[in-house]
Amino acid sequence: MTEQIDLTVDFAGIMLANPVLTASGTCGYADELTEFMDVAGLGGVVTKSITLAPRKGNPTPRIVETDAGMLNAIGLANIGLERFVSEKIPVLQRLGTAVFVNVAGQMIEDYVAVAERLAQEKVVSGLELNISCPNVKQGGISFGTDPTLIREIIGAVKKVCGDKPLIVKLTPTVTDISATARAAVEAGADALSMVNTFTAMVIDIETRRPVLANRTGGLSGPAIKPIAVYLVNRVYQEVAKPAGIPILGGGGIRNATDAVEFMIAGASAVTIGTATFIQPNTALHIIDGIRQYCTRKGIRSVAELTGTLR
Amino acid sequence: MENGVAVRHKGVFTAEVLSNQQIRECYYRLNLVLDPIGSRFFEHVVPGQFLEIDLSGLSLPPERHIPAELRDIAARQVLLRRPFSFSDVVTTPTQDGPCVKLEIVYCVLGPATLRMMTLKSGDVLSLIGPLGNGFKIFQTLKLAVLIAGGMGAPPLLHLGGYLRRHFPAVETICFAGARSCEDLPFTLKIGNLTGLVVDEFDTLGVASQVATDDGSAGFKGFVTDCVRHWLENHTIKPEETMIFACGPEPMLAGAARLAADFGLACQVSMERMMACGIGLCQSCAIEVNKGKADETEYKLCCKDGPVFDSRNVIFQVQP
Repeated sequence: MTEQIDLTVDFAGIMLANPVLTASGTCGYADELTEFMDVAGLGGVVTKSITLAPRKGNPTPRIVETDAGMLNAIGLANIGLERFVSEKIPVLQRLGTAVFVNVAGQMIEDYVAVAERLAQEKVVSGLELNISCPNVKQGGISFGTDPTLIREIIGAVKKVCGDKPLIVKLTPTVTDISATARAAVEAGADALSMVNTFTAMVIDIETRRPVLANRTGGLSGPAIKPIAVYLVNRVYQEVAKPAGIPILGGGGIRNATDAVEFMIAGASAVTIGTATFIQPNTALHIIDGIRQYCTRKGIRSVAELTGTLR
Repeated sequence: MENGVAVRHKGVFTAEVLSNQQIRECYYRLNLVLDPIGSRFFEHVVPGQFLEIDLSGLSLPPERHIPAELRDIAARQVLLRRPFSFSDVVTTPTQDGPCVKLEIVYCVLGPATLRMMTLKSGDVLSLIGPLGNGFKIFQTLKLAVLIAGGMGAPPLLHLGGYLRRHFPAVETICFAGARSCEDLPFTLKIGNLTGLVVDEFDTLGVASQVATDDGSAGFKGFVTDCVRHWLENHTIKPEETMIFACGPEPMLAGAARLAADFGLACQVSMERMMACGIGLCQSCAIEVNKGKADETEYKLCCKDGPVFDSRNVIFQVQP
């Protein structure tokens, strides 16, 4: 009889059954995943980005495969706040796992409106703010690359979140990720989520045009994992650990070894993204693998792993 | 759905390779037998549905077997699963439930299908399926006009066999087109009355005609022009006729226009790059009319399709 491993994690005040979540944009509204696994076995799900008005998304091609990764430019296609609340919230209530809703927008007012409405929903454990979107009012510059804008948006959203923790998802496409992380924490972020995809391009050499209709897309998959692990460790050391803020880490995780790497680097919980496309129940296998790792290493509580890089 | 667990219509299964044979040029025929649980899910598959195969673990064929045009990119890694339709599905009842055998016709055109060449009897593959919605057969159907373009042929071969088995009263004719004779995934032969026919359809008892853009076999010109010619010379009842088309998008747009010109209903099987095939990634968007004038929306090729009513689709390329 093996000793029971405690897989629970206190993430910004939310008790998760285990530290493995499915990442935003890779598990739909979580309802699509239920045909492939018992979602209740997850630590939680992060829904795709919800915007105030419905969004059709970009023309196709929206994805292209690369060596050890893929680019996507979906364009935040989603059914909008109103339909999300009426159609998807009731489904999410039956999942039996923690639900984090990813929030996106084009103006600070959009973010505030979506966050304020979702904060009233009991089933929503917390909000994940996607600040990698272009800011329409400021000529399309991304909210997430400018510390001043980050403070402004988080300050405004935090006021309407009530008791729901606000997780800020950082873009890695910046010169100094600690500067943007620090801005987020100072403005009231309860947790950091990292990393979003890396801006990238694939060119069709026959036509000399980008393959994606959007020209550029976000690179995800195993190709970005070592960079993501480095960035998580850097932000953990420089910002998150001193501030006592947890990190939701991810980027190219395919197996339990990858997930444990992120936790050692400083993540309190991890997200599984692209790997779910290939094997829909990858996250459950990863939970098993983490349990085995803890048993092998004599770790009684998985939370002890976070930030143990020597 | 109850307690977070859905009624399952699809899943991740394994299939064992029975055979993997080269048909001609770049075309291969892969025969698989599904595991017992998978067989139950695939028992009622209809033509036009598809599956996703994980090919990431396969190794490259020896260099001498790699086509010259693929050598430069052969070593590129395969990460995502690849979608395939079926050219035939056969269910055999056994004591332990159904046993389903799938036939897939594929074309070697990239790093993933290049690796498929190495599959041999006894190999085991992971697949997700059955996926999407197939062709719909209406009770009023008396004449089925199949239009196959190049690699779009396999699901129509499945449809041809399916109609013979389940709707024997439906008259079926297939028009198979390609740029050139060697781009046809079929064996051609001289028919009794009509000139060149496709052997695979002939075997099923389905009439067929061949068209090539360059005239290297059959009708010279686009396959849709060949069908137009045929429709002009036959008396057809629109309410009893349906066009079923699968092929490159310009050909599907051509089939849609043809159907509109003759007042016929038409189902097109669309194709998009997809990362997952199960509605998660949202990458395989197809623009469709919303019902209201000038309003469109995106549907997903994997979940809402791949078969669509041609009147609803906004084609990205014109015929």
